[in-house]
Amino acid sequence: MFELSAEDLNLSAEQKEVLAMIREFARREVRPAVKEYEPGDRYPHPLVDRMKELGLFGLTIPEEYGGAGLDHVTYALVFEELSAAWMSIAGVLGTHSIMAYVIARYGTEEQKQRFLPRMAAGELRGGLALTEPEAGSDVASIRTRARREGDAYVLNGVKTFITNSRHGTGLLVLAKTDPGAPKPSRGMSAFVFEHSGEVPGFTVRRDIPKLGYKGLDTCEIAFEDVRVPAENLVGGVEGEGFKQVMSGLEVGRINVAARAVGVARAALDDALRYSQQRVAFGKPIGRHQAIQQLLADAYAQIEAARQLVLFAARKKDRGERADLEAGAAKLFASEMCGRVTLDMMRVLGGYGYTTDFDLERYYRDAPLMIIGEGTNEIQRMVIANRLLEKYAL
Amino acid sequence: MVIGPFDLNALEVAVRLKERYGAQVTALTLGSGKAKDALRRALAMGADAAVLVDDGQMAPKEPSVATRALAAAVRKLGGLDLVLCGRQSGEWDFGQVGALLAEELGMPFVPFVPRLEASGDGWRLEREVEGGLLVVDVSGPCVASITNATDNQPRLPKVKDIMMANRKPIQVWGPVELGLGEEDVGEAANRLEVLELFIPEVKSECEFVEGDDGAAKGAALARKLWDRKVI
Repeated sequence: MFELSAEDLNLSAEQKEVLAMIREFARREVRPAVKEYEPGDRYPHPLVDRMKELGLFGLTIPEEYGGAGLDHVTYALVFEELSAAWMSIAGVLGTHSIMAYVIARYGTEEQKQRFLPRMAAGELRGGLALTEPEAGSDVASIRTRARREGDAYVLNGVKTFITNSRHGTGLLVLAKTDPGAPKPSRGMSAFVFEHSGEVPGFTVRRDIPKLGYKGLDTCEIAFEDVRVPAENLVGGVEGEGFKQVMSGLEVGRINVAARAVGVARAALDDALRYSQQRVAFGKPIGRHQAIQQLLADAYAQIEAARQLVLFAARKKDRGERADLEAGAAKLFASEMCGRVTLDMMRVLGGYGYTTDFDLERYYRDAPLMIIGEGTNEIQRMVIANRLLEKYAL
Repeated sequence: MVIGPFDLNALEVAVRLKERYGAQVTALTLGSGKAKDALRRALAMGADAAVLVDDGQMAPKEPSVATRALAAAVRKLGGLDLVLCGRQSGEWDFGQVGALLAEELGMPFVPFVPRLEASGDGWRLEREVEGGLLVVDVSGPCVASITNATDNQPRLPKVKDIMMANRKPIQVWGPVELGLGEEDVGEAANRLEVLELFIPEVKSECEFVEGDDGAAKGAALARKLWDRKVI
């Protein structure tokens, strides 16, 4: 089986062992279950329960709050492994881990103690509620309002494309606390919103049907006079939400980039196997130059993307600003994944186009990484602006 | 470095016994420093302690020598109720360690055990035999070699247990700590030598017997069988 080499990564014994466990979990439990849930777009409850048992929801949550306290390099490699089996499974952990990151980094001590241990146990499974029907990449123009009323904030607004919002039990919600702020980004705050039971005014309006990324709940949700305790305002100070969420998105870009590497890797693995078995014109098709061009390019691009992911993850682990690197990794890896999944489909020919093989799933999942977590068009603007700022004359 | 597949089943059986009755599980292996990775996996799966018998100063080239070293470690641990091992290793597949260990320790041995439970002052073990199962009772401690079954599939360790396993100490014993000399575990103690390893060639041929009708084909077939001295 084709796997990228982890030998030169200088991983510790525990990092290696965690990855070995994830690989076994992916092979033994995730892969065999994909066909059961993916085609019918069914949520894989038993797999999520297993992920809880294995402690995957606490991967990067600090140990003092019940998590495993793992670094972002391991985090990226775990996302790659899971995505090589089924990208949607990585999605269950994706925004959950970003929400946990934001709380761990910006929350008050009381908030960390109240939320993180339950998040690590997978009891409080979270997501991010940022995007609105008319505010995606342009986060600053969101309309959801949070008005202070006594000891609570009252939330009103609609959020869309919210992953984990039906089957999860919590969300980090970005809302405007000061709509008149001269700089809109300073008028926003982030709230921890729990919805494990019925919450008056909160509704999951619609499950959004998608091209790929199936099995996972992506929904439109609405807040109508929903009361959130004031002590759930992240960090306890209004106006910090935009900054908090943006920092979380650096982690998000690393995880999306790592998913792209995983999906492309799986596509190459399938193509390598097929190209040695399928014979045409008297030899395995892998011996034909036309197929070799595709395989070689795929390998080189996957390795390159992975190095970018690890580069960004290491920078994040050193506590440095990593938006440029994470953005570059996300941009490159997701575009790479789009190309590679299509190219590997060419290797499999007609079979690659059928649902008898996994390739068409990789191909359908790939655009999620191009569009999600900030479209690549926006990503390029962010990268360019950051470059111009960093190297200003 | 990984644990042999049947040893993983043995470990799973041990951890299940611990969960059922309460017990102290010690994982024991013989190997180089690299084998510590395997012991860490055992700790992460639920073993309470781990011991590495370091073979740096030994020459365990055959099962009897390896087993002598392991038996010395088992005696040093002392006070055991049960010794479990995989039914055969993952590389040479000799399948001798369990029986030899029982002999060294003076304990009864039950091979090919998929599952067992406490019974009286000992154990009730199921043993796989040709076409069925044999149930045996053993009073007192015994050695059992574990075979794979659907109910002893090795569990995946949890992330936090992996982290904790890396912080637990692993005891390392050499020949000195085990009171073993050159004559017990040195080069000269090995008397078995593997001469050759090969995959026997299995040939099969398919031939259609020609003939105008059934009778002619039958005659042709008989001739061929006669020529090859089959009939």
